[in-house]
Amino acid sequence: MDVKHVTPFIVGFNTVIPPLGFKRIDKGQLQVKKRNFTGSGIIIIVGMVGQLKGNVVYVIGAEAAKKIASVMMNGKPVEALDDMAKSALGELANMLAAHAATAFSAMKMLIKISTPACFEGNDITVTMSASKVFGVQMLVDDMPIDVNISLEN
Amino acid sequence: MENVRVVVVDDSPLSVSVISGILEDNGFQVVGSAGCLEEVKEVIAETRPNLVTMDMTMPGTDGLECTRAVHEIDRDIRVIVISSMMDEEIVSQAKRNRVSGYLQKPVDDEDLIAVVKRVMQAEELFGVLNSEFFDVFKDALRDGQNKLTKTLITYEEEYLCESEYTADGIAVMIGIIGEFPGKMLISLSNATAHVLTATVLRREPKNSEEIIETMAEFANIVAGNACSSLNKRNRAYGLRVAPPSVLSGENMKITPLNYPTYTAIGESVFGKILLNIGFKRGELDAWT
Repeated sequence: MDVKHVTPFIVGFNTVIPPLGFKRIDKGQLQVKKRNFTGSGIIIIVGMVGQLKGNVVYVIGAEAAKKIASVMMNGKPVEALDDMAKSALGELANMLAAHAATAFSAMKMLIKISTPACFEGNDITVTMSASKVFGVQMLVDDMPIDVNISLEN
Repeated sequence: MENVRVVVVDDSPLSVSVISGILEDNGFQVVGSAGCLEEVKEVIAETRPNLVTMDMTMPGTDGLECTRAVHEIDRDIRVIVISSMMDEEIVSQAKRNRVSGYLQKPVDDEDLIAVVKRVMQAEELFGVLNSEFFDVFKDALRDGQNKLTKTLITYEEEYLCESEYTADGIAVMIGIIGEFPGKMLISLSNATAHVLTATVLRREPKNSEEIIETMAEFANIVAGNACSSLNKRNRAYGLRVAPPSVLSGENMKITPLNYPTYTAIGESVFGKILLNIGFKRGELDAWT
């Protein structure tokens, strides 16, 4: 996996996030991570297959997840991460990954995405398929979404 | 392509008449028409069509709001927009609102019928996949375990999974792409994963990483075999699997997201193995 393969995921954020009603997107430092890492809150995985294959894992802490779901649900207060809130977050991950795939196609790389799988819990260890994982934290109106990408040829 | 029932949404009686005429001349059944949001809600609830053709500009509403109203009544109804307006922004908004096809007015007979057929063929194919995938995945899990461990698995419980469930131990997620995207999850306790790994490797696992690796490979074999078997039945599925991701932890809540998945709980000599699988309709089927 090449570091240039991270860019489409950032393009995904820049395309999807503003129309949803968020005002600011900040990109954190790019990290090279081990293939296993621990996350708490909401963890959403999307499989990717095509000229590259692998997975993208979005990790959102519980508090940030509630606020993001609330914005996505037209400002409706979200007190708990119920099915409705998780559906909104699943749809967000789906759109982010779909737009990343579109950005890959602009780089002449065809990639299709699976449906997302949504997990909630504390201290969940995620083991990704490739030995190298790129991680980048995106701040959406100061709410962090960790994006972990593992793709291989 | 028999018995496809269509509702035509347009505020212009001329357009309703032209579109209905083309559809009826080609063997489709037009079961109603609507020209405003209230009529859309009423006619869709009453007639429950397979397909709706949708104008974009109507008094007091627009095609996107009406499409959302259609899907609030029934998510599975396919919507094709037929509008004089067509630019990148409106097409992208239509895609976000789960529109399956977009045509510009004045609509050509052949284009309309081609798009309707493409959308409805995908619908038929999805129906066939839905009727067969669950058994194929259950067989693949049973065969996979049998080949690797020479043991049997029996399914104790099978159900449509519509609510959140909890997994303790290990969950392997395998994304599936193809004509219809989907995913497979296999979850099992740490104890079950340990004994299953020891049996596959014919020795004690060295560490938890080795158990995770083995379970990832096991799930990969199951999903790969199931998808190959489905592709042999119908090449149009074009299913391929993404590499496995493994989650481990306690009290992991897994939520089905907006589309039905099916769960089978297998009883094996190693303990219970939960198989959950589902596919989603393609939503962007026929864009011209």
